[in-house]
Amino acid sequence: MMTSVMGGDVEPGTGDDVSIERPDTESDRPVQLPRRWRLSDPLISAGATAGLLVVMAVVAEVGARSGWWRASTLPATSTMLSGVAGLMDDPQFWSDLTRSGLEIGLAILFGSTAGLLSGLLFWKLPTLGRIFEPYLVSFYAVPMVLFYPLAIVVVGINASSVVILATIMATIPVALNTTVGLNGIRPVYLKLSRSLQCKPHQMLFSIALPAAAPFIVAGLRLGVVYALIGSIAMEFVTAQAGLGYRIRYYYEIFDNDRMFAYILVVLVLSVLLTALLAGLERLVVKGRTS
Amino acid sequence: MSLAARRSASAMRGHENVKEIAGSAGLALVALVVWQVASGLTFVIPTPVETLRVLVANLGDPAYLTDVRATAVAVVSAFTVGTVLGGIMGLVLGLSRWARLIFEPLVIALNGVPKIVLYPILLPIFQLSGSKVVMGILFALFPVLINVATGVREVPAVYWKLGRSVQASRVQMLLHIILPTIRRPLLTGIRLAASLAVVGVVLSEFFATRRGLGRVVLQSYGHGDYAEMVATILLLIVVSFTVSIMLWRWEKRIR
Repeated sequence: MMTSVMGGDVEPGTGDDVSIERPDTESDRPVQLPRRWRLSDPLISAGATAGLLVVMAVVAEVGARSGWWRASTLPATSTMLSGVAGLMDDPQFWSDLTRSGLEIGLAILFGSTAGLLSGLLFWKLPTLGRIFEPYLVSFYAVPMVLFYPLAIVVVGINASSVVILATIMATIPVALNTTVGLNGIRPVYLKLSRSLQCKPHQMLFSIALPAAAPFIVAGLRLGVVYALIGSIAMEFVTAQAGLGYRIRYYYEIFDNDRMFAYILVVLVLSVLLTALLAGLERLVVKGRTS
Repeated sequence: MSLAARRSASAMRGHENVKEIAGSAGLALVALVVWQVASGLTFVIPTPVETLRVLVANLGDPAYLTDVRATAVAVVSAFTVGTVLGGIMGLVLGLSRWARLIFEPLVIALNGVPKIVLYPILLPIFQLSGSKVVMGILFALFPVLINVATGVREVPAVYWKLGRSVQASRVQMLLHIILPTIRRPLLTGIRLAASLAVVGVVLSEFFATRRGLGRVVLQSYGHGDYAEMVATILLLIVVSFTVSIMLWRWEKRIR
């Protein structure tokens, strides 16, 4: 396994990356069932997850209905679901969704571009990379949201202040992972490109980037997640529109049912996005190794 | 490699190291200059000197220190509980194939959601003072959990065999085999947990709390007292940055 040059949290295979296939180190433990009884692992996972979700939904329904807790703390599942259904023909919801989607999309676009470019720069100029390294690695120590009031006073209270900060949040993991991936390319690949007298763009697009692809893709996935988390958190704290803002708004006017509907929507959307990205990443990595 | 060559190599590495630290310090200096220039362009950004003056004055103010203490206590308790809980859950997830099959998808999914939107749910349950700690725990939990689970799963099979052949007890296995093997991912998780505990607590304080530095930032923003706002931001950033960089250097040393 490659060791990373920068913070270990960004290498595919450790950190929050659990989706990559790895040799099973547990095969010598006595957990194996007879072959014909064995369901495939993804099937067990999917079934268990569905089961857990159903259990949680039933507990929430029964608990709220029979007064184990106050319905304002956590409403019944049916109430939340009908709340979500109610949002579907609420123009306010669609405009919030558009706003958040736009912010997240722009942050992803700018963040991945800036991250890829700075990753290339740090690879080409290693000294510069090492100078920036402690700042990039410790970047998550800084609550970006602290800069939000500052961004508001500088650029105004609108979508662009959210986009700027979410872009910065998305840039960092992409830049870190791109640098780590490019620095980890086996020297023989670069020697090959020199002996074939590749032009710089050939060397970049046909050799360097594909060689570093697993790291870059993992970085992009993190970048997307951070763009989402950053945008919603920023909206939640102070903004005038967007899904995050609306949750706070309904909290403040005590409209619990709508608040929970919005929370549920945000959770479901981000889980869908995570699943989609994990699938895409698996495709890219699998396609390379097979 | 001969001893002399090794010594000169390590001296060279030391030299490199000094150069890099100097470069990083230089970068901080450049940021400071940019800040000074920016403060001249718009009245909303106070000068670095002014900010430092306000910060020093604040640190002598007992009311401000109460806010500092509120945030510090919340962060430290969130970090401690989050790391311990995350470590235990990570061990279970790493050791038991069934626990992993059943719970891993939900853990990954929860890790990717903006957890702050759950804050309104926590508030009625844990009250104003407890909710930010719980939010900090939620933030700090996941990096430790995931790194420990992945680390435990990647412990080479021969280590388990060795443990069994010397008939190590469960505690001995944990202390002498698992922990030393996973020390790197564990430390990465702890570093991220320390950072994210700060982020979780401050973010919660932005939303609602009685005392704390997040509230100070938002309040001084509301009053248009930008020097106070930037001074508090600076304090939070410098402290959490320093802790994170120290943990990171330690992590690099034990590689």
